[in-house]
Amino acid sequence: MAKILEIVSASVGYNHNTVLKDVNLEVNDNDFIGVIGPNGGGKTTLLKLLLGDLKPFKGEVKYYPLAPNETLFGYLPQVANIDKRFPITVLDVVLSGLMGRKGLSGRYNSRDKRLAMDMLKRVGVEEISNKAIGELSGGQMQRTFLGRALIAHPRLLILDEPNTYVDNSFEKELYALLQELNKEMAIIMVSHDMGTITSHVKTIACVNRHLHYHRSNMITSEQLASYDCPIQIIAHGPVPHTVLSDHNK
Amino acid sequence: MQNIISALFQYQFIANAFWAALLISVAAGLIGSYVVARRLVFLSGGITHASFGGIGIAYYLGLNPILGAAVFAVLSAFGVEALSQKMDVREDSAIGMLWSVGMAFGIFFVYLTPGYSPNLMSFLFGSILTVTSQDILMLLALNVVMVIFFILFYRAILYLAFDEGFAKTQGVPVRTFSYILKGFIALTIVLSIRMVGIILLISLLTIPPTIANIFTKKFNHIMIISILIGFVGALIGLIMSFGMNVPSGATIIIALVGMFAIAKLISYIFVKVKRNALSV
Repeated sequence: MAKILEIVSASVGYNHNTVLKDVNLEVNDNDFIGVIGPNGGGKTTLLKLLLGDLKPFKGEVKYYPLAPNETLFGYLPQVANIDKRFPITVLDVVLSGLMGRKGLSGRYNSRDKRLAMDMLKRVGVEEISNKAIGELSGGQMQRTFLGRALIAHPRLLILDEPNTYVDNSFEKELYALLQELNKEMAIIMVSHDMGTITSHVKTIACVNRHLHYHRSNMITSEQLASYDCPIQIIAHGPVPHTVLSDHNK
Repeated sequence: MQNIISALFQYQFIANAFWAALLISVAAGLIGSYVVARRLVFLSGGITHASFGGIGIAYYLGLNPILGAAVFAVLSAFGVEALSQKMDVREDSAIGMLWSVGMAFGIFFVYLTPGYSPNLMSFLFGSILTVTSQDILMLLALNVVMVIFFILFYRAILYLAFDEGFAKTQGVPVRTFSYILKGFIALTIVLSIRMVGIILLISLLTIPPTIANIFTKKFNHIMIISILIGFVGALIGLIMSFGMNVPSGATIIIALVGMFAIAKLISYIFVKVKRNALSV
C-alpha cells in the first residue's frame, strides 16, 4: 500500500482566519475515510486543502509521485454549488473528467466519447447523454457528476456529500459501487449521514477546527465527545449498520 | 446587384462599416457566449463604462481615445479582482464603483479639454462613420488571436467556465485562463465602442448568445450561432442607421432585440406544435 498524500501539521483558513489547526492526515491506497463534523467545523476546508485549492499557512501537504498518465483526483463537489443553467450537456460534463489526462488543448476522439458513454451507463444516465444539465433531476445530476469524477479512474476519489439528492435506489447502488471502486482507489467521503459513514467506510476523520483520526468505523459518543466533535449520534447498536441518532427519525 | 455592391464599397466608410460589423460579430460572439454562460454580464458592463475614463484622459492628452479606453478597460477588468480580494470590497460593489468612477473621469477630462470638445454622443451611442482603417486592423488582430485561442483551448475554456473548482483539481491553470479571458472581454468591448457605443454595448455581448441558447444547449453551437446572429443584427442595424440617420448603436440593438423576439416566438410555436402532435 503506497502513500498517496500526506498532510503534515498544516494550519489553513481564509484571509488569515485559521479554520483548521495543526492537521495531520495520511492517505494511502485503498483507504476509505469518512469525514464527519459539525457545519462550519472545516470539512470543506479540509477538502480544499487536500485538493491543493488552499495553501496552508503553516505545515505542508505532500503529494507522492503518480504513475505516468495517472489522474490523482476524482472530485464530486456539492451539487448545490453547480450553475444549473449553464449550457453544457451530460456527455460533456462527463468528458470534462478527462481534462487532467488530456491537457489544456487536448482533442477528444471517439474513443473518449465511448469511454464517457460507458461511464454514463455505469452510473445509469446513458439515455440522457445529450440533455443539458439544467433539465436533469437532482439525482440524475449527482450521477452525472459521479461519472465525471470516475471517468479518469483517479487514484483518490473525493466525495462531498454524495447522498444529498440521491433517490433511495441509487443510494444502495452508490454504496455498492463505492465498495467495488475502493478495491482500486482510495476514497474520502464527507457526509452528514452518520449511519452511512459508519457502515461503509474503513476509518473516520472527525473535523472540528482540529482533525481527529479514528482508525475504525466504529465510533461511540464518548469518543466523539473526546474528539470535540458534536455529531448527533447516541450509540452504536450491536450491528454496525444500526446507528441511532437523537433526531426523530 | 454586383455593381451596386461594388459601388457601395467604393465609399471607404461603408467598407469599413462592413468589415467592422463582421469582425466585431466574431469577437463578441465568442466572448459574449463566455460572458453569458459564466454570468459575467455585470462585470462586462462595468468594464465598458470604466473605459470611458480612458477616452476622456486620452482626449485631454491628445492621444488615441481607443488606446486610452483599452488601458482603462483592461485595468478595470483586473482591478475588480484585486479590489475584491486584496481590499476586501464585495465584488459587485467593486464593479459598481469602477463603473461610475470611469464615467466620472471621462466626463471630467472631456470638459477640461480646451477648444473643440469631441462628439460625446458618438462614443456613448456609436457611430459607424467614425470607424477607421486602423480600428479594422486592430479588430483583425484581436480576432486572429481570439479565434486561435478558442479553437486551441475550447474544452479547457468550457470546463473551467462550468466548474472552476473541478477544473482546478484537474490541473487547469484557472487563474491564468480567467485573466486572459477577462483581457479578451475588455479588448472586445473597447474595439466595439465605435460601432455601438458605451451605453448600448452590453447587449451586443448578451443578446446573440441568449438567442442561440433558445435553440441549443451546446456551448460550441452557441458560439457559432451567436456570431451569425450578431452579424445579421449588425448588418440590419447598419442599414437602418444609414437610411434613417440614427446612431448605429441604437439601430443594431433594436435589430438584435427584434431577432430575440422572433426567436422566442418561433420556439414557442415549435413547442406548442410538438405538444399538440404528441397529444393527438
